[in-house]
Amino acid sequence: MNHFPEAWGRPRDDVYGPYNSSYLQTTGPKGHTQSPAVTGTTVLGVKFNGGVVLAADSLASYGSLARFTDVKRLRKFGDTAVVGFSGDISDMQYIDRLLDSIDVRENYSANGNTLNARNIHTYLSKVLYKRRSEFNPLWNHILVAGFDDDKKPFLSSADLLGTTFSAPHLATGFGAHLAIPILRRLFPEEKPLEDISKDEAVAALRECVKVLWYRDARSLDQYSIAVISAQGIEFQEDQQVEAQSWAFAETIKGYGAQVN
Amino acid sequence: MFRNNYDNDAVTFSPQGRIFQVEYAQEAVKQGSVVVGLVNKTHTVLVGLKRNAEELSSYQKKIIEIDSHMGIAIAGLASDARVLSNFMKQQSLGSRLTYGRPLPVDRIVSQIGDRAQTNTQHYGKRPYGVGLLVAGVDDAGPHLFEFQPSGMTQEMLACAIGARSQMARTYLERNLEKIAGSTRDELIIHGLQALKETLSQDKELTVDNTSVGVVGLAAEGKIESFKLYEGQLLVPLLDALERSEAGEETKEAETMEVDS
Amino acid sequence: MTSIGTGYDLSNSVFSPDGRNFQVEYAVKAVENGGTAVGIRCKDGVVLAVEKIISSKLLKPGANKRIATVDRHIGIVSAGLIPDGRHFVSRARDEASSWRNVYKGPIPVSALSNRLGSYVQAYTLYSSVRPFGVSAIIGGWDSEAELAVDGQVGNGPNAGSGGKVEGAKAGGPGLYMIEPSGLYWGYYGAATGKGRQAAKAELEKLDLSAGNLSLLDGVKEAARIIYVAHEDSKDKDFELEMTWISTLDGPTHGRHEAVPRELLEEAERAAKAALEGDDEEDDATKGDAVDSERMQE
Repeated sequence: MNHFPEAWGRPRDDVYGPYNSSYLQTTGPKGHTQSPAVTGTTVLGVKFNGGVVLAADSLASYGSLARFTDVKRLRKFGDTAVVGFSGDISDMQYIDRLLDSIDVRENYSANGNTLNARNIHTYLSKVLYKRRSEFNPLWNHILVAGFDDDKKPFLSSADLLGTTFSAPHLATGFGAHLAIPILRRLFPEEKPLEDISKDEAVAALRECVKVLWYRDARSLDQYSIAVISAQGIEFQEDQQVEAQSWAFAETIKGYGAQVN
Repeated sequence: MFRNNYDNDAVTFSPQGRIFQVEYAQEAVKQGSVVVGLVNKTHTVLVGLKRNAEELSSYQKKIIEIDSHMGIAIAGLASDARVLSNFMKQQSLGSRLTYGRPLPVDRIVSQIGDRAQTNTQHYGKRPYGVGLLVAGVDDAGPHLFEFQPSGMTQEMLACAIGARSQMARTYLERNLEKIAGSTRDELIIHGLQALKETLSQDKELTVDNTSVGVVGLAAEGKIESFKLYEGQLLVPLLDALERSEAGEETKEAETMEVDS
Repeated sequence: MTSIGTGYDLSNSVFSPDGRNFQVEYAVKAVENGGTAVGIRCKDGVVLAVEKIISSKLLKPGANKRIATVDRHIGIVSAGLIPDGRHFVSRARDEASSWRNVYKGPIPVSALSNRLGSYVQAYTLYSSVRPFGVSAIIGGWDSEAELAVDGQVGNGPNAGSGGKVEGAKAGGPGLYMIEPSGLYWGYYGAATGKGRQAAKAELEKLDLSAGNLSLLDGVKEAARIIYVAHEDSKDKDFELEMTWISTLDGPTHGRHEAVPRELLEEAERAAKAALEGDDEEDDATKGDAVDSERMQE
């Protein structure tokens, strides 16, 4: 009688390969979100004299499919802050609910919600960083707009890695490439914030949204704008990109069927 | 022999609906040396009388800084106060870390209130044997809270707890209006005066046995950080107290002359 | 009291031979010493009011709120041990928050009351805890309109999901009171605390079940009832705190908020005037009897 387990019915290693003992473990590796599913594209933000403007289109894409066309990606927090989301829509909803629960909590006390945009940005960047450190990131790039502790206009970004960045004008995603150069030309570094009016800022963002609609295949010509000023938050939803002209498209060479 | 059966633990109501263990814990507060707190429109002041176990020993700490915008004064079991103050420090730090915002005073006060309440409703725990005066500033201005072992917390205009504190409370009640309209420095003098009222004949306030904490609003909504006055720092404050007392006396003397 | 000395009243969760839990009854005693609290369910909202006895001149006037907000649309006021009331509110907030986590919407007042009833009842079951020394009045407004789900981003196609009953009524006011035993009922008008007998008598006169009382009148009645209930402890000063929750198109937009100061003061003036009016009537009718009562004082 031999004592080899194979002779007693154990699958032979040379036929079936060595037994994978990792199957015996009750705790295996855990799968996390490694890519976004339904996504929103660019969010734009500009500071002006006395406030901040944000803009984002209403599209949620499923890969290259334009899946949902009525998605509000600018989310209000309290009476003084707005968060703009690009990236995964369901993660945006999760974060939006986090913010809502904070707002509920903040309003328990009589003196009301005292968290400003800067506080919210600090909080969200911590949430994003914690999640990326768990290798389970919230797949978003966000802009937070409102006011800081000194009641000055505040605009800052945070991404899925927890990286934060602040500037007088910001754009996430494709807009970082297409809109930022336009905004830099309109509002050069040497131009002080005091010289930028609300109307200028809004007009600039509308222009950027139009350019993005022309050139970003994951964008839409319906969008929202939020103006945050001392007077409060003014939301303009269901905006349409006006005066579209696709004449420039004919001049584009190197794609499609043209020969020369 | 009559024996009160309802005072063995904190989870038994007496037939009148009282909880004797909690009431006994309140007695421990009265064993501690006195602390006084008072607020005006801009500042909160804490004043405490420090005790030393013997001539050559050091004095017990009575006032503890929690954060730059908040401090506490303690009467009763100092070790229980340490547990609470450590908790408050952690929470306060947590708020600064997650939101970049100093923790609003009423929040932290209700948190320690809730902790204390738990100790009065569950067997195997005992109520805290310490009373606190919490002084701090936030967006709503300067605050003074009283915390009791029962978990009761109340916002006060002025307050005194600990041994012989009734004398101080009487002083505070008589001078409520003056205190409300006082300047920062006058507020400290009122605090010291109230503390002095509690002293027995043979005792006086010295740089060794007195402790003063001040926190408040500075100009332009900035915070004047919590500052602890002990030892030589007290000299100008005690001098000011002496001068103000001398002033009162000459005033009295003058009026007497007029009368005659 | 017959319970004393029998030994059945020394521990929670123990029945006496005649089937009573004395510790719960003693907890009720703690409630009966607390400041009077009332809640009125009106046709277009709910009002909560509480009598805060001023125990010291040193207390900050207008601070130290006793009516707490749970979620956005519910208020809780309690009579009895104040720290126990805070614990109760803290649990209510946790329940409301966990409801939101599951259902992505605000908790109905009835569901919150049910969960809190269970929670309070659990504190009568074990000898390791004591019952709550509070009776709590829970008032709120369940949205009459269809609310967006928390985190909802858009509306989608207009076709809708179907299956809805046209014209069905949803939401409305809710008012419940939970006792230390965990027992709770829904109320048109609820009162607890020291002056509850007088307050109940006044509430019964309002014919609340007819559903005609408006929220604005409810505010005035609540203020008056607190003043009436305070008559028996007239020697002590008190502060009146009132909150309300209205319909979505009403003054609070379905939120639980403090009654605005002007309205509160107006209600207090009316309450004082009503009391003085009563006194005059009494004086006229009773005459000598009143005088002799005064002598006794």
